[in-house]
Amino acid sequence: MTTTDTTGAGGVGAVGATGGSAGQERSSPIVAVRQAAFAYDAERPVLKDVSFEVQAGDFVGVVGPNGSGKSTLLDLIDGVLAPGSGAVLVNGRPTREYRRRDIAREVALVPQHFALEFDLTVRDVVEMGAYCRGAECSPAAAASAALGKLGIAELAERRFPELSGGEKQMAVLAQALVQNAGVLLLDEPASSLDVSHQLALFELLKQLNADGLTVICVLHDLNLALTYFDRLLVLSQGGVAAWGPAEEALSPEVLEAVYGVRALVHHHAGRTFLTFSPRRSSQPRERGRVHLVCGGGTGSSLMRELTDRGYEVSAGVLNALDSDEVTGRELGLSMAVEAPFSPVGDDAHAENLRLMADADLVVLSEVPLGHGNVRNLEAVRAALARGAQVWVLEGLLDGDHTGAAVSLRDTAARFFADEQAVLAELSRLPRPPAV
Amino acid sequence: MTDVERPARVSRAAREGWSGLALAAGISLVCLIVSLAFGPVSLSPAQLWHDLLAGPGSHTATAIIFWQIRAPRVVLAFLVGAALAVAGVILQDLFLNPLTDPYVTGVSSGAALGATIAIVAGLAGGLWLTGLALVGGLGTLLLVWTAARRRGRIDVYVLLLAGVSASYLLSAIITVLMIRANDDLGAILYWLLGSFSGRTWTDVETALFAVPFMIVPLFFTKEMNILLQGEKRALELGVDVERTKRVLVVTAAILTAIAVSVAGIIAFVGLIIPHLVRLMVGPNHRRVLPFSLLMGAALMGIADLVSRTLLAPTEIPVGVVTTFIGAPVFIYLLRRGRRT
Repeated sequence: MTTTDTTGAGGVGAVGATGGSAGQERSSPIVAVRQAAFAYDAERPVLKDVSFEVQAGDFVGVVGPNGSGKSTLLDLIDGVLAPGSGAVLVNGRPTREYRRRDIAREVALVPQHFALEFDLTVRDVVEMGAYCRGAECSPAAAASAALGKLGIAELAERRFPELSGGEKQMAVLAQALVQNAGVLLLDEPASSLDVSHQLALFELLKQLNADGLTVICVLHDLNLALTYFDRLLVLSQGGVAAWGPAEEALSPEVLEAVYGVRALVHHHAGRTFLTFSPRRSSQPRERGRVHLVCGGGTGSSLMRELTDRGYEVSAGVLNALDSDEVTGRELGLSMAVEAPFSPVGDDAHAENLRLMADADLVVLSEVPLGHGNVRNLEAVRAALARGAQVWVLEGLLDGDHTGAAVSLRDTAARFFADEQAVLAELSRLPRPPAV
Repeated sequence: MTDVERPARVSRAAREGWSGLALAAGISLVCLIVSLAFGPVSLSPAQLWHDLLAGPGSHTATAIIFWQIRAPRVVLAFLVGAALAVAGVILQDLFLNPLTDPYVTGVSSGAALGATIAIVAGLAGGLWLTGLALVGGLGTLLLVWTAARRRGRIDVYVLLLAGVSASYLLSAIITVLMIRANDDLGAILYWLLGSFSGRTWTDVETALFAVPFMIVPLFFTKEMNILLQGEKRALELGVDVERTKRVLVVTAAILTAIAVSVAGIIAFVGLIIPHLVRLMVGPNHRRVLPFSLLMGAALMGIADLVSRTLLAPTEIPVGVVTTFIGAPVFIYLLRRGRRT
């Protein structure tokens, strides 16, 4: 379920570097970046040895941490900057051989920041995109067409400086579309948009792509990248960390290497998405082991919180495919698992006892107790009998259909009002109390 | 729907553009007639018409006043006003800085130094002064240009700062020359303040060289509009930014050098006119440039009229008049700009 290994994705990047001939056999790429390097200042190169090829009609996302050279890469493709070494080719021709007017007919760019203080109308601004096309088109007609295509015809006579950030973004996109170039570059177009406009924008880009436009888009949101883009280029410290089909390029291994975060891949309702947590500390087990008795999603947030805080977490007994079990699996926890919809059997119970025996602390979530899982209470009593620390969330008693849990009141188990209280108490302790 | 609306809108815009331009031309024409008519000896419109038809060869008293005194200085004032206004539009846009005027490039100080040298050297008559002023102005441009040039590109901020520094340096040299030149002090000072007093058709002929350079920027209105979005965006949209900058900076410098060489340093026209015009017609250069040209000419004509009539027979240097008009208007514009 989790995607393939790093070497696969990295390998694609490596093939891009050497695979120019292979690419040409298929069809000549519309954009080819070959061992391109760029530095504003020789001491600190922004891009070093970047290679990849984009075919006409591709829909490519470019991701990478801040300062990884994404915007610079777009400037290289647009020919605004020339590579210090290597080559950037558009339609097979090095960008530095183009005149500005000619390359603007091949490549259009939507910049991240767009400053225009002067009191021009949106129509004036959009018509400027027609500059590179000279006499071949009527700027007014091209502007109307672009505004209509983006569904913002009503903005035409508005003063550009009075537009909202999102409206400006759309107007500048319209300006770029008027260039009628085959390649559209976008630099973080979603950054000033709310979520509904973000989705609308990417749907729109998808549509433009379906109409034949080659799109190369820098973005920060990895989930948007995963959802919308066929191929992703992952930049890291000026080099290509991965390049290939979206799910391969954004494997957890790549993300950990590039961003230094732990990524979890989820598949839900036909979508793939990622969640992130800070990287595990280098000695994750130092803080101690916590065993969770949970189920039905009552333990998921504690699992995450405790894992993020560096505890080694185990859980059980859980039924396979229970939402806590799914979370635990994503987090890579040790768990005692029983078959779906089955009462706790002997094997699972034994495993649960073993995990509890290793734990410094046992925590009971507000899991509803019924005849299927009441055996977990037995395990807890065994732990108490051994003198283990047991913390119980008050809510457990409310969801207890067996009436067995209330007897915990008479034991050494400590009761907490909610998860926050548990976490607060834990953070007060240097380590969980030893067994 | 938009396709139906569009033709109507374009024609309306075109109509507004033309009627507005006609209005500006009309205002300039009225200013021209008024400037020609009034003075220590005022001429009636009928008299003006008569003298105009009589031609420069006529020897009636009014015809001599009209052809040999009034007409050359009025025509010169209009040319210089137009040149400074166009140079102001160009430089304010290139630097994306509304406080820029034609004098920041240092060209005017260079021209002033050339003129000062001519006066001190006793060459104040006619073409020597104008010629040395032109040489000084364009020489300064070359110097500042070299300073701002890096790897084949012109950095407009370096250009601006180098220009301001050059201005100070050249002004310091002028001051030294003025201290050394007791006898010519008045002449230098009067020249520095800017004046059209005693100008002849020879000066007009020099100023006419500015006309083609007023036309040049009209071929760059699209590029200038796009440059309002900054140099980088202009590059992305396909503008050859370096070539455009080269042409426009040189054009502005030549206009400034010519204006200063015939009239001295006349403040505020190049600063105020582009602002006023943008308030009237918006930032589109297809309108800003011709409007600025006409309004710069008209304002300078009126300022010269005031300079020679207000305290007649004493003349106030025209640069002082434009400052009296310009400074308050400019402060008003600044305050207005801040509110919006």
